[in-house]
Amino acid sequence: MSAAALPAPAARKGLNRWQFWGRALIAPYVVVFAVFVLYPVCYGLWLARHPASYVKLIDDPIFFRTAINTIVFIVVGINLKMLAALALSGFFVQARWWIRILAVLFILPWAVPSIPTILSVRFMLNPEWGVINTTIFRLTGLDGPNWLNDPTLALGFSMLMHVWKSLPFWTLILVAGRLAIPGEQYEAASVDGATRWQKFRFITWPSLRGLYLTSTILSMIWTLGDFNSVYLLTGGGPADLTHVLATLGIRYLRLDQVDLAMASIVVALPLVLPLVYFMMKRLSK
Amino acid sequence: MKRKAIAAEARLLLIGIPVFLWTAIPIYHLLLFAISGRDSATSGRLWPTHPTLQNFSIVFHQQHFYLNHFWVQLGNSLVIALTVGALTLLVATAAAFAISRLKVRGGRLVMNLALFTYFIPAAFLAVPMYKTMGNYGLLNNQWALILAMVTIAAPYCIWVLKQASDKLPWELDEAARIDGASPLQLFRLVYLPLMVPSLVAVGTYALLLAWNEYLYAFLLLSRDDSVTLAVALGNFLAADDSPWELLMATGLVYALPPAAIYYAFRRYMVSGLTAGAVKS
Amino acid sequence: MAALSFRDVRKRFGSGAEVIHGVSIDIADGEFVVLVGPSGCGKSTLLRMLAGLEEITAGEILIDGRVVNDLESKDRDIAMVFQSYALYPHMTVRENMGFSLRLRRADRGTIDARVTQAARILNLDPMLERFPRELSGGQRQRVAMGRAIVRDPKVFLFDEPLSNLDAKLRVAMRAEIKQLHQRLQTTTVYVTHDQIEAMTMADRIVVMHDGMIEQVGTPLELFDRPSNLFVAQFIGSPAMNVFTGTARDHAVEALGAAWPVPDGAGASTGQAVQYGVRPTDLRLAASGVAGRVVVVEPTGAETELLVDVGGRQLTVVTHGRVSARPGEVVYLVPDAARVHVFDGASGRRLQ
Repeated sequence: MSAAALPAPAARKGLNRWQFWGRALIAPYVVVFAVFVLYPVCYGLWLARHPASYVKLIDDPIFFRTAINTIVFIVVGINLKMLAALALSGFFVQARWWIRILAVLFILPWAVPSIPTILSVRFMLNPEWGVINTTIFRLTGLDGPNWLNDPTLALGFSMLMHVWKSLPFWTLILVAGRLAIPGEQYEAASVDGATRWQKFRFITWPSLRGLYLTSTILSMIWTLGDFNSVYLLTGGGPADLTHVLATLGIRYLRLDQVDLAMASIVVALPLVLPLVYFMMKRLSK
Repeated sequence: MKRKAIAAEARLLLIGIPVFLWTAIPIYHLLLFAISGRDSATSGRLWPTHPTLQNFSIVFHQQHFYLNHFWVQLGNSLVIALTVGALTLLVATAAAFAISRLKVRGGRLVMNLALFTYFIPAAFLAVPMYKTMGNYGLLNNQWALILAMVTIAAPYCIWVLKQASDKLPWELDEAARIDGASPLQLFRLVYLPLMVPSLVAVGTYALLLAWNEYLYAFLLLSRDDSVTLAVALGNFLAADDSPWELLMATGLVYALPPAAIYYAFRRYMVSGLTAGAVKS
Repeated sequence: MAALSFRDVRKRFGSGAEVIHGVSIDIADGEFVVLVGPSGCGKSTLLRMLAGLEEITAGEILIDGRVVNDLESKDRDIAMVFQSYALYPHMTVRENMGFSLRLRRADRGTIDARVTQAARILNLDPMLERFPRELSGGQRQRVAMGRAIVRDPKVFLFDEPLSNLDAKLRVAMRAEIKQLHQRLQTTTVYVTHDQIEAMTMADRIVVMHDGMIEQVGTPLELFDRPSNLFVAQFIGSPAMNVFTGTARDHAVEALGAAWPVPDGAGASTGQAVQYGVRPTDLRLAASGVAGRVVVVEPTGAETELLVDVGGRQLTVVTHGRVSARPGEVVYLVPDAARVHVFDGASGRRLQ
């Protein structure tokens, strides 16, 4: 009648309905993952298994240039973008009717697809008939520079394009972060006589710090994957001098050098994986 | 006191105006080209001498070499985006329910794998995906793009849905179980109705992701009548004397649906998406 | 309507420590049994095991003579009312109440009939088309009960249903639940941490502490003859006065005075004991144990006094008004037939 002194787990004959459906409902994603993430990743790594690929890669001057471009793109671009996002988030939390309207407009670069907008800028930069040079000519009678033919300028504009597109998203994130700070803290600080800078330093920043860091890291990871901003603006040119990691792989692919394509990605993993690990630690708390 | 207020407003305008210009210029330029004739577009004027809708007419009547398949391509973009939205919603909702409410074994692992996929830049996955689709024999098949986009969109969707789902009180499931609900009845009659706002945000996200996608579409599809509008736009760049104003007109058409959807759903999008990103 | 049995039921969460240590209770058909105890005593866990929401690690639970350990909740023919009501927010009151029947594919007629009947019993008629968010706490609780009634189950389970309500509403709902039970005569297991709820509503009370049963009995049994110190101090408000003393011949020496004991109290001389006397069993007299009044709290019908006796503050409750003022000396006389003596070490009642 009564069970033995040692507690035994209640017997569940086979899989009950709840466990069955749990597995059944998670199965579609697991299949998707296995077929379209796991297999390609393993296959890609297998394609990049020859050490010879890496030697060839490092010997390629384009690769070296690309690496520099990528680092500049990330370090300069991200920090510029995040600082701007931080500043603008303070701007957009102000309650004014025109700021609210501006906010809706501000989201547009992020909301609309990048091809039309990047091409639009590309045409603005056209040395002969682009709006920038024609305006310069009209004002000064001089010919404007061939913007996209200068690798530094071209890379700069790519970065600008990237910032233009992704700034709204990060600004929004930081706005949400600011809104989470209780207003009373600022009121108390006002009563205590704090200046705007002091309020930022002692109330806003401590609360925003973690979010800012997480956003910067995530932004770094995603910027490494920004293909459009470079490809559609410069095509990697002039003379393959503005490639970044994202576009380089595709370049090799189109030249049928798949092993180099994979190698260029693998080479970036020691940079990307720690960042990804950091993000996962942060989010799966 | 009044002077302080004016100074404060002036400071804000000092930021607001550059922000406005910075945001609007590329878009305005796009609009400008789309409604100008060929010559006036490249004349550098701020507003066309004779604004015209001629370009749109040419686009809609497919009256140019590069626009021969405009409607098919637009249709492709639409169909692919809708399919991706629907499929992602299905896969992600089921997975989030299994992980969050059914507490399936291994749910945590799957969630982490999904997060991992979300963080890895999509461009990194593009080359292996291209080769893999080749191996599966799916190149040039629209399903390649659809499945690739579902793979890319699903992780974030599962994450957002799981977060929202975790906020639902546990007792609802217990009450439903005691009332006699089977797992599917719980899913259909209790869970889904309560998740509607998140479902809308997530479905829209997946849909727009697919509509806006260039790289994967460009890699995985190549036949003129099976590519998306995004790829068709990119093809314009092949020649030096392409009709830029037609390109911009097409681009505007291509950009309108996402802009409209974002504007319509802006409240859902903002709360739905930042809820996942900002951990309060 | 059914009898319930718990037979040496144990519970262990994962590989952690055991939280329920061999609980055995028999509940008769139609009885209203209250599981009461402080937070963490295991009463909710026990209820949830009965409901099928928690696995039973060892032992058996029987409903109507059938072992239900392996049965799913829905097959146990029970209904449960949760502390947070757990109403489906996206359904109207009518849909909430009819949900279980809808799941069983009952026909429209049956569902309507049962819902209408339950609504009438609980005065929910005007609210049938409203949503939970439009209702007050008390109304929501009634909807939760209505949902349970519609199921016409063998057993009603209540998990601290009144905890989220304010004091006045709680008193009103207590009476409603009791009336419901008298009307429907369904076996009910009710969990609460509030001993007043237990005392006023139960046919029998199960006092639990640290995963074990301390005592089972009718409210008055627990009040008059608590079997140990824990029950003695848990039941009754204000709580029983308990203080340390030493057993002597026909008396207990404590707080510098001699306290009477009832005949037959089995304490050996010199034994350390705990002496317990309820505030209502102490009266003010011309002579007795001396104490100094600290606080006088008149509540209208009664007066509650805090009296310092030998360094210890005792609570005294007397009917009517009292003329004593703080600082004055008063004399207390306990009702010798109603005092309690507990063993100093184990806390068990000495008889």
